[in-house]
Amino acid sequence: MGPCGRGWARCGGPRLPGALWALALGRALPRARCGLWALGGGGPAAQPARGLRGSNPFTRGQEEEWRRRNRTALTYIAAAAVGMVGMSYAAVPLYRLYCQATGLGGTTGAGGGSARIESMEPVQERVVKVTFNADVHASIHWNFRPQQTEIYVVPGETALAFYKAKNPTDKPVIGISTYNVVPFEAGQYFNKIQCFCFEEQRLNPQEEVDMPVFFYIDPEFAEDPKMAKVDLITLSYTFFEAKEGHKLPLPGYQ
Amino acid sequence: MSTAMNFGSKSFKPRPPDKGAFPLDHFGECSAFKEQFLECLRQSGSESSACRPRAMAYLQCRMERQLMANEPLEKLGFKDLIDEKSEAKPEEL
Repeated sequence: MGPCGRGWARCGGPRLPGALWALALGRALPRARCGLWALGGGGPAAQPARGLRGSNPFTRGQEEEWRRRNRTALTYIAAAAVGMVGMSYAAVPLYRLYCQATGLGGTTGAGGGSARIESMEPVQERVVKVTFNADVHASIHWNFRPQQTEIYVVPGETALAFYKAKNPTDKPVIGISTYNVVPFEAGQYFNKIQCFCFEEQRLNPQEEVDMPVFFYIDPEFAEDPKMAKVDLITLSYTFFEAKEGHKLPLPGYQ
Repeated sequence: MSTAMNFGSKSFKPRPPDKGAFPLDHFGECSAFKEQFLECLRQSGSESSACRPRAMAYLQCRMERQLMANEPLEKLGFKDLIDEKSEAKPEEL
C-alpha cells in the first residue's frame, strides 16, 4: 500500500495531492506527519522537520538563496564583532608605541642623554628648592641619611648631593634602593645622571660610605604651566635589604 | 610605588639613572672633595650654582680613582666651567 501502512489511509484526502507531488518529485513522503496523525497526537501542533519547510517548490530555490545570503551576512557580522574585540585589546600596546614614537601623552620617558645635558641652558629665573629624605625598610639596620637638608637648584644645571649610609651591624649587608619624587608631576623632569639606586650596594660591618646623587631638572620644567607653582621638590630614597633570590621590580635596568 | 587608590591616574614610575650607579667609595678616597663641597654649600646657603666648581672637582676625583666612568666634563653639564678654565689658561701663559 504505502510506507505509512495503516496511517496512510488516515492521512486522508487533503493529504493526497501533497503526497502525489512528493512522489512526482522523487522526494520522501511526509511520513512524519502521517505518523503523528496515526498516533492521534500532535496533529496540527506538530512542528515540521527543520530544513526545507517551504511547501511551494517554486520558492524553494529562492529561499535557499536567501538563507545562503543570511549566513554570509551573519559570518561577516560575527567577524566584525570579533575584530572589534581584538582591536580593543590591541589598542593598549599600539597606543603606547605611538606615544613613545611621537612623545605625546606626557611621559617623556627617555628624555635624557648626554647630548641634552651638554646643550641645555640653565634657566636662572626659576629657583627650585630640592629637599632630601632618606628612609630604610624595617628589616635593614642601616643608618641612612642625607648630608644636606636642602639645595637650591635651577632647571638646566647639574647638581650634586650626598647621602651617607652606615652599617652598624657585624655582618655585611647588601642593600638596594629606590627613589620617589614629590610632587609626582615634577618627577618626569627630574633626571638622574648617576646615583646609587637600583643596584645592590654592599656595606661591610661598621662601614660608612658617602653616596652621591648627580642630577638635573630638565629646562622644560620652566615652560610647563602645570609646574608654575612648584618650587619645592622632595627627593626620597628608601633602602631595602637585598635577599637571595628576591627579585625587586627594577624598571628595566640591568 | 604609588599607594593611592585612584586607578585612573598614572603612578610614579622610577626611572633608572642615565649613567647607572656610582660605585661605592669604600675607602673614602674622595671624601676630602666631598667635605669641601658640603662646606661650600653651607657657606653659600645651600645654593648649588655657587658650588659647581667643587662638584666638578669631586667628580674628577672619582674619575681619576676609577670610581666613575671617564667622561668629558662638558657632557656632565660643566661646559661653562671648562670654557672659563680654558680661557683663564691662555691668559696665564
